[in-house]
Amino acid sequence: MHVPENLRYSPDHEWALVDGDAVRVGITDYAQDALGDVVYVDLPEVGARLDQGSPFGEVESTKSVSDLYAPVAGTVTEVNQDLVDAPERLNEDPYGEGWICVIAPDDLSQVGNMLDPGTYRSLIEG
Amino acid sequence: MSDRRSPLHSAHVAAGAKMVPFGGWEMPLHYETGTLAEHLACRSGAVAFDVSHLGTVRVTGSGALGSLQRAFTNDLERVGPGRAQYTHLLDPADASVTDDIIVWWTGPEHFEVMPNASNTDRVLAALRTGSSDCGVADVTADRAVIAVQGPAARDRLRPLSPEAAAVGRFRVAAAGVAGAEATVAGTGYTGEDGVEMAVPADQAAGVWQALVSAGIAPAGLGARDTLRLEAGLPLHGHELGPGITSRQAGMGWVVRFDKGDFRGREAAWVERERGPSRVLRGLVAKDRRPPRQGCAVRRNGAEVGVVTSGNFSPVLGRGIALALMAPETNAGDEVAIDVRGRDLAAVVADPPFHRR
Repeated sequence: MHVPENLRYSPDHEWALVDGDAVRVGITDYAQDALGDVVYVDLPEVGARLDQGSPFGEVESTKSVSDLYAPVAGTVTEVNQDLVDAPERLNEDPYGEGWICVIAPDDLSQVGNMLDPGTYRSLIEG
Repeated sequence: MSDRRSPLHSAHVAAGAKMVPFGGWEMPLHYETGTLAEHLACRSGAVAFDVSHLGTVRVTGSGALGSLQRAFTNDLERVGPGRAQYTHLLDPADASVTDDIIVWWTGPEHFEVMPNASNTDRVLAALRTGSSDCGVADVTADRAVIAVQGPAARDRLRPLSPEAAAVGRFRVAAAGVAGAEATVAGTGYTGEDGVEMAVPADQAAGVWQALVSAGIAPAGLGARDTLRLEAGLPLHGHELGPGITSRQAGMGWVVRFDKGDFRGREAAWVERERGPSRVLRGLVAKDRRPPRQGCAVRRNGAEVGVVTSGNFSPVLGRGIALALMAPETNAGDEVAIDVRGRDLAAVVADPPFHRR
């Protein structure tokens, strides 16, 4: 499974990318592989307030439903509308075109509390 | 107890299948291609499913026909040797469907009864207690069962076995396939044309390889489920099972009251006189979101049903479901499906959702 070095990870298989003051969020390669073919993504609304660890959306595959959990507290500033009609991008490019949303974090340092790539890799390979 | 393995287990693992527990077996959910691609390959070309987890109970002897007539709801006298028939085993207490079964009538006093994986023991027990002058044997471990389905299924099978490719709908015949002596039936569970074949366990891997080499791509149980749902076909544990009768599932035609006594006849007759309390209907969502088993269905705020199976339809590009609904609901009714607390708008429809 691909675990990029420039990202941070949650135990629930979200990734976070720090981009200036913002945090871009998606699900990991491991998560998309475990879900199988994604057929529907329930996106948060722009402007939604998220608490760290709170559910903010759902990813549905042909076999199951999985909640999305906010890796950091903050406000949703952008969502990937392309996933509405092309949820398969989550399978094809989970760290790129399959991004889910951008959060303006209340406290950017929360990202530092997330798992580093090595720790996340041992979690999924353990 | 560990899950049983199909004679094709190694072939699936070598092909990169994701193996999952299913009805006491370890079976392929999907291959590297994924469920959606496997689904569409079956709608447009031809795929092969390993369905060895289905049971095979061999019933033989002079009393075999009579025993099956007394155990199951459908009437074998309406067909004959060389034919396959879909039938139900009922719970005598309330006419619930204990299992839905395909019977292959392979010879004058020779039947292969195929229950669902997790119901094989129940079917065996029902046949052993109610039968006379016949042998009842579980031969599940002796063979693999492979379903070849899709509009191109027969064309791609023909070079390997013209006899197998020629077996008609709901017919059964012996045929050589890639060097194996197979029993081939014109049956399936996808809404497409095709056949299902039982092959000796020790020759199954060779047959599977020959099918794949002939352009028949492997497909997993994930696609089998989305295909059967799109075709409006019931799955035991969802549309049939404890508390659900044949008539509720829209399959009253499987219960033949005119053939004499059979297990569950009395309870089924009571329901027939009274009329079913609910009926199976289809639902088509307004967007891609899949409804799921257990979701409540409401009309004008009042609960009118519950989803028994739901998923995404690759052909329609929308969520679809089967649901047990109040009898007064009709095709075209606008309803709301409660998907984990949020309303998904849908329209009642008569299945199948896809017609070949």
